[in-house]
Amino acid sequence: MKRKLPIAALATIALSASLLAPTAASAKPSITMSGSTSVAPLAELLAKKYIASCGHCANFKLLQGGSDIGVADVAAGRVTIGMSSRDPKPSDPGGLVFYKVARDAVCIVSNNANKIPSIDTAGIQAIFGGGVRSWTQVPGSTQKGPIEIFVRSPGSGTQDAFQRIFMGSQKVFGGAEEKNSNGRVQAAVSSNPLAVGYVSLYFTSGTHTIPYKGVPCTLRNAKSGQYGGSRNFYMVTRGAAKGAAKQWIKWITRSGAARSVIGTEWVPLR
Amino acid sequence: MLSAGLLVLIGFMIVFVFSKAWPSFANNGLAWFGPGGDVDTQLAEIFNSPAESKSYNYTIHVWPMLWSTMLITGGAVILATFISVLSAMFIVEFAPAPVRAVLQPAIRLLAAVPSVIYGLIGLLVIVPFVGNHVITTHQKESVQYVIQLGGSSLIVGIVVLTVMITPIMVAIITDALHSVPRTWTEGAKALGVNRWRALRTVGVRAARPAIVAAAVLATARALGEAIMLSMVAGSSAFAPNPLDGLVFFYEPARTIAATIVDNADGLSVKPFGQTLYAFAAVLLISSAFLSFAGWAARQAMSKYTLGAR
Amino acid sequence: MSAQTLADRGQRLYTAIRGNESWSIGDRIGVGLAWLAGIGLCLIAAGILGYMLVRGVQYLNVSEVFSSPQPGLDQSETGGFLDPIQGTLIVTILGTAIAAPIGVATAVWLTEYGKPRGLARAVESAVEIVAGTPSIVLAIFGLLVFQQGIFSWFSVTGEGATPLGRSFIIAGSLMALIALPLIVGSTREALYSIPRHVREASYALGKDRASTIRRVLLPASRRGIGTGVVLGMGRIVGDTAIVFILLGATLQFEPEGAVPGWDVLKGTGSTLTTYVYQNSPAGEGGSPEKAYAAAFVLLMIVLVLNFGINLITRERQSMWGR
Repeated sequence: MKRKLPIAALATIALSASLLAPTAASAKPSITMSGSTSVAPLAELLAKKYIASCGHCANFKLLQGGSDIGVADVAAGRVTIGMSSRDPKPSDPGGLVFYKVARDAVCIVSNNANKIPSIDTAGIQAIFGGGVRSWTQVPGSTQKGPIEIFVRSPGSGTQDAFQRIFMGSQKVFGGAEEKNSNGRVQAAVSSNPLAVGYVSLYFTSGTHTIPYKGVPCTLRNAKSGQYGGSRNFYMVTRGAAKGAAKQWIKWITRSGAARSVIGTEWVPLR
Repeated sequence: MLSAGLLVLIGFMIVFVFSKAWPSFANNGLAWFGPGGDVDTQLAEIFNSPAESKSYNYTIHVWPMLWSTMLITGGAVILATFISVLSAMFIVEFAPAPVRAVLQPAIRLLAAVPSVIYGLIGLLVIVPFVGNHVITTHQKESVQYVIQLGGSSLIVGIVVLTVMITPIMVAIITDALHSVPRTWTEGAKALGVNRWRALRTVGVRAARPAIVAAAVLATARALGEAIMLSMVAGSSAFAPNPLDGLVFFYEPARTIAATIVDNADGLSVKPFGQTLYAFAAVLLISSAFLSFAGWAARQAMSKYTLGAR
Repeated sequence: MSAQTLADRGQRLYTAIRGNESWSIGDRIGVGLAWLAGIGLCLIAAGILGYMLVRGVQYLNVSEVFSSPQPGLDQSETGGFLDPIQGTLIVTILGTAIAAPIGVATAVWLTEYGKPRGLARAVESAVEIVAGTPSIVLAIFGLLVFQQGIFSWFSVTGEGATPLGRSFIIAGSLMALIALPLIVGSTREALYSIPRHVREASYALGKDRASTIRRVLLPASRRGIGTGVVLGMGRIVGDTAIVFILLGATLQFEPEGAVPGWDVLKGTGSTLTTYVYQNSPAGEGGSPEKAYAAAFVLLMIVLVLNFGINLITRERQSMWGR
């Protein structure tokens, strides 16, 4: 009995305090977001900058899960904004508005012990499609074992972009290991000499980025348009953006502060 | 009346999960459990199905996952039963007092370690060891057109899971062996039977309901272990192929629970989420069934041996 | 009788009891395996403890325990795990605070009242089902329920969206579910072990059932309740699945709203278990060192709880003379 009493008392006090306290102060709008793991770091940095510059005018909650999940969530009204790193697809639910906020590059990465000098579309399709299964058959590779491929799970916008830009109609090898975020692919490739995968430009530290058609995958090449593997980042809303979400998206697309945040690791639009 | 509230809550849980899961079962019928195609590809297609509810794609055949679940859970429980019975016999009869004093806290320690720590050690120590030193390159190449072998594999999953569930079983079986009346085993010894035989034929037989109860408990625990297995046993929904010989043990295997964890972000996307809830429904039914089976088995055996509660 | 004769008699008695037993090869192998199993378990436990100790000491800076984690790609520059530790504490306290009253009340009802029989049996089965349900299933059930609009005050609701369904209070509530069977079980055992004459004496003195329970039985079963509570806490501290799904996996606390205290509960965060998971190669994985350090802290917490159970149970054996 004695043991339960203090806990029960604490709980009651906390509960009543929460009910009695003024609720007007908590009228700050909350913006919940979910979706692309590629857009997430950018969204987080933008949100921080926005909160600082507008004087804490909104609360942000960030979930991830992949672009398709962001799109589905926002269409069903489960979050305020969805983040997508792929273009709108015909199979997307209706009534969505995609606001383009930045561009980004998709890099093909291998382990630092396996610095491949260059790769072209045919090579990528051969490796990721499962035609070539051993590093000995890949020119420029210093490894000798079977190729271990890491791809993204179906909900990923990066996977959509990779498929569209590099693979075309060729399907990815069924035995490849699926990871559900950029970070996990990065972790897998950087720790395994036999690994190869693809990530967004932000997630390439610790790995070797393979130049595509002779052009290294760097921010400068992405900005100049020389690197061939670029894709768009979108903020998606159900119908036109309203209220706090509208303010934020307007800030992202118009303000100079946002542009400089984007310019650190991604390609701004203007 | 709080207890009635609890009942309502559990009832709600079952109803909720099943109502979400129903479309997946309804659209596939019994083929839901059967083989046919690669589960990952099917999950991808469910995920990408168009947005109108009429054209949702629910096709899935979960046999590879069921097979993996059976292999990992069954393998671990069988291994754990052997080890626990042997350990319990050791504690009760053969262990010298100082060893016993160390062993009992050791077992309690093993039972208390969180599953994420088992997963961490498995992932950072055992998996690289298996991947780099146990699996030969030749073995990797022998299956390279079908699946790639990292270290995350069936055997690591079974081994770590066995270590996780053994402590639970040892505690129960030791208790049961202790409660065998001493006169029984002493009678056997007086007849000239040696200590091992006496314990094995008399003690273990008498403790059979407890062994069954422990095995059922351990199976329920093993079925529900999601985090550790998703870290350690591989993340492709691949059905390990016994025809591959030794490589069979090195192939990745993903259980139903681990699949739910790996795909948890998609829970709110309509047909995909419902498929995941269908997996959860299967887990729910299995654990309920196991509880019932354990109870029934104990009832049946209690006629012949000591009552176990 | 001389000491020698006694010794001889003892020797002969010993041989008589042991008999002229013969040990076949099979039996010897059996004993050998039993030794192997026992020593093997010892070694594995020592191995795990030792390895975690070594790695923990190697990678743990005390500063990490007291600094908050900062997001960033290279985890080695990004602070420690103060927030996850606090997260673990919050979730554990919440879960136990919810589970303990409900669990004790249920156990009391089951042992002392227990009518109507059908309801009692149903409640017992419900508790067993909860005990057997994997925590991942409980987690996704929680998500399902708390994303409904009625529960919007439990978590953040985005503008123009449905409730997030993830927060400390939600995770704590579901943790209560996994601790509940342990508390119910221990309390029932404790209540059962109180002999009937104690209750009868209390009734003979004119007390009714409710005050008997309150004044006599519950204090007497304190140790059992305590054991159950600590067991439940141990289970909560070690659980990852529920936190993974229901806590939003933000590194730091992100409180919601303006009410101090409640805003943290309504917001998202992380606990030691998800922190270890995220820093392992299975998660975003940049830093196994952080994972080891946090895992070490987690293991210490669990060991302390276990030690607590030992302390409690050691004394309880003398209670009723058994």
